[in-house]
This record gives sequence, structure tokens and C-alpha cells, in this order.
Amino acid sequence: MPDNWGFVAAAYTLAAVILGGYWRMLVRKERALTALVRDDHTSRSRHPSRPGHPRPEPASRPPLP
Amino acid sequence: MAWKDLVIERRSKETLNALLFFSLALLFVFQFALGPDRERLASVLPGLLWLGFILSGVLGLGRAFVVERENDCWELLLLAPGDKSAIYLGKLAGSLVLMAVVEALMLGLFVVFFNIDLGAALPGLALVIALGTVGIAAVGTLFAAMTAQVRARELLFPVLLLPVLVPVLLGTVKATEALLLQEPLAAVAHWLKLLVAADVVYLAVGLLTFDVILEG
Amino acid sequence: MMAVLGWLAGVALVAGLAMGFGVAPREVTQGNVQRIMYVHVPAVWVAYLAFAVGLTASIAYLARRRPGADRLAHAACEVGTVFLGINIVTGAIWGKPTWGTWWTWDARLTSVAVVFVMFLAYLLLRAAVEDRERGARYAAVLGIVAALNIPLVHFSVYWWRTLHQPPSLLKPGASTMPPVILAALLVNFAALALLGAYFVARRTRVLAAEEEVLA
Repeated sequence: MPDNWGFVAAAYTLAAVILGGYWRMLVRKERALTALVRDDHTSRSRHPSRPGHPRPEPASRPPLP
Repeated sequence: MAWKDLVIERRSKETLNALLFFSLALLFVFQFALGPDRERLASVLPGLLWLGFILSGVLGLGRAFVVERENDCWELLLLAPGDKSAIYLGKLAGSLVLMAVVEALMLGLFVVFFNIDLGAALPGLALVIALGTVGIAAVGTLFAAMTAQVRARELLFPVLLLPVLVPVLLGTVKATEALLLQEPLAAVAHWLKLLVAADVVYLAVGLLTFDVILEG
Repeated sequence: MMAVLGWLAGVALVAGLAMGFGVAPREVTQGNVQRIMYVHVPAVWVAYLAFAVGLTASIAYLARRRPGADRLAHAACEVGTVFLGINIVTGAIWGKPTWGTWWTWDARLTSVAVVFVMFLAYLLLRAAVEDRERGARYAAVLGIVAALNIPLVHFSVYWWRTLHQPPSLLKPGASTMPPVILAALLVNFAALALLGAYFVARRTRVLAAEEEVLA
């Protein structure tokens, strides 16, 4: 029975690509979100809400990836 | 409430008529898609029958909460006092009656158009159809309430329902196949047990979680 | 804490590869293509473990309504779906040289495919409901139905394929398993399980951050 190493390589490579891709998606989302959270906190500390002072609307933030 | 019941009755008749015509249309589509080969048709008849049942079930159940949604009665449902599972059972019973009528008619059409000899198989067949229909309606009613308030509900409802119904589909088709070959009911006991188990699971989850769906 | 989990997973993955390619012998009947099994089989075990976690978290959410339980359920079901996808894809690649076909409707492949589609629908529901609290409730109910349906799917598909069927279906994996093969499977299972846990931890963190940003 031939060894079909090509298929073995394909299977493991595909598994690695799927897992790696998922991991990259997680890392990218986390970076984008922590940046947004940081901006949110900085802007809130710079502009503490006073009566009558409108807070920035969520719509003005960049859309999530 | 009486006005609501009148609307429901009129809506049910509309739904029933639409489903009956759908059954007829489906019958023609099956015949044309599969060609005139009698033997091939005979071998896939159980599958076609249940395909018809499930598709009309999806159509009918998808409309189970349409009255409430379109007439802004959804909040009335949410605020209804008492156990919400009573609403679940009520909707379930209504769907069962509707599906039973459609299935009886579809079976009749199949017998006529495809020249099936039901013979002694009818009582067993009725049992299988009953078990399968309860399963379809139990999950269908729960998912219909879930998708009623969601955008793209017409697409999401069948996408949620059909994969979950695979065991019911397999059980009913295999049991129907055996019964139409005049095998005794005992030969399909394992399928019947599977269908009963599925029905119990779906009904239990439906009864326990329906009020969670109706929270808002 | 999460970083430790990640590094542990990395080490375990290396160990798994070593077991699968170095320690485990060349299989007698199938040849080296059988080594695909060392990623294919543990993947489905990890997936079902993840769905069990999802079921527990969904029930816990409905009982106590803690957002953490909802995030765990979401992450676990998503990670489970990813690993199930890996199982299906590696199974197809294994099937081509072994059975001559990319796909066959045998019991195991079919039931895994059905479960995969069920949980894809779960992820679709999550995406379709905009209100966070309602989405959590609905997804919990669907998660419970889908997870409880898994044994029903397995039995119905298995009976559909094996009763009144000639016993000529080739099944992957020998019925008597040499201990070294079992050991390789278990090491790879531990590795993928650690990786899965790491993914779930990261995913719940991302979900929490998303909620904070959208608040």
C-alpha cells in the first residue's frame, strides 16, 4: 500500500491552517478591541461627564472588524 | 380575545389551503423530477412522503406566531399571566391538528398518484406518522417562537430546524419503508423507540424553556 | 494564566506530533496515510468535549443568568465547531487514498456532518439576534437542544447505515488497538484539548471586550 505522504501533509497542513487562522482571528479582534477600550477610557478621563455635556455616541466609534 | 380567535381561524384556513396546494405542487414536482421509472419511484416513496411532510411542516410551523407578530400582540404574549408552557402546548396542539390534516391529504394523494397499496400497514403507518409529527411540531413550535422576533426569520427557521430533525427524518423514513414492504411493526421497534425518545426530549425541552423564549 | 495554557498547548502539540510521526509505527494495512488519524480522531473528541461544556454553560446561564456563562457557552460551541470542521476535512483527505472517495455517507462521517451543521446554525442564530440578552437566552435554548440531539443523531445515523446493510463498509481505525497507537491518540487528544481550552479562554476574553465596547 503506497504511503501517500502527500495526503498526510495536506491533512496536517490544513488542520494547522484552520487552527492558525482561528488563532489569528482571535488575536486581531483582541488587539482591535483593547485599542478601542483604551481610547474609550482615555476620552472619558479627558472629558469627565458634566451635567449637560453629551457623551460621545457609540456610533462615532470606528466599526468593529 | 374573540376577535383574535377569529383572526387565527381565518389565518389557519389560509395556511391550510396554502399547505394543501403546496402538497399537490410537491407531488407533481417529485413526479417530474424523478421521471416515469416506476421502480425507482417506488423505492424512494417513503423518503418523498416524509420530505413532503417536513417541508409543509416547516412552512406551516414557520407561521405559528405570525398572528402575534403582525398584529402587535407579541407583548400580550409576554405579559400573559400564568405558566407560559400552556401557550406552548396550545400552539403545539394547533400545529398538530394542522399538520395531521395536511399529512392525511398528502398520504391520500400519494396512494392515488403512485398507486400504493397500504393494506395492513395503515395502523403502523399512522403510529409512525403520529410520532414523527409530534417531534417535528415540538421542536418547530419552540424554534418558531425563537425566530419570530429575529430578522431574516424565514431563512433562519428552516436552517435551525432541519438539521435538528435529521433523527426524526431517518427514523420515520426507515420505519415507513419497512411498513410499506408489509413488514410487521415489531421489525421497526428500534425506530419507534428512537422516535419516542426524540419526542420526549423535544417536548421536555420545549416545556421547560418556552417561557425563557417568551421573556422578551 | 491564559498564556501558560497557550504554552502548555504548544508543548503538547509538539509532543503529539512526535508521537504521531516518530513513536507510532507505520500501520500494517494502510501505510503511513493512517497517521492522519492522530489529528482526525482527537479533533472530534475535543469537539464533543467542547459541546458538553457548551451544554453545561447554557443550562447554567438559563439557571443563573450570569453573562460569564453565556460567553463560555458561545466560545465553547464555536471552538467545538472549528474542531469538528477539522475532523471532517482531515477525514475527507484520509478517505481519498484509503477508500478512493472524498466523501462517503458512512455512519461516522454523516453523523459528524449533521452535528456540524447543527452548530453552524447555532453560530448563525448568534449572529442574527442583535439584542445581547435575548441572543444569550435563545442561543442557550438552541445549544441545549443541539447538544441533547447529538446522541439521537448518532444512533439514527448508525442504524440507518448498518442495519440491513452488507458488512462491507471500511471503518477507519482497527478494532484492536496496539497500546502505542492508543498512547499517540491520547497525547494528541491532550494537546488538542489544551489548545481548545486556550482558544475558549481567549474567545471569552474577546467576547467580554466586545460587550464592554458596545455598552
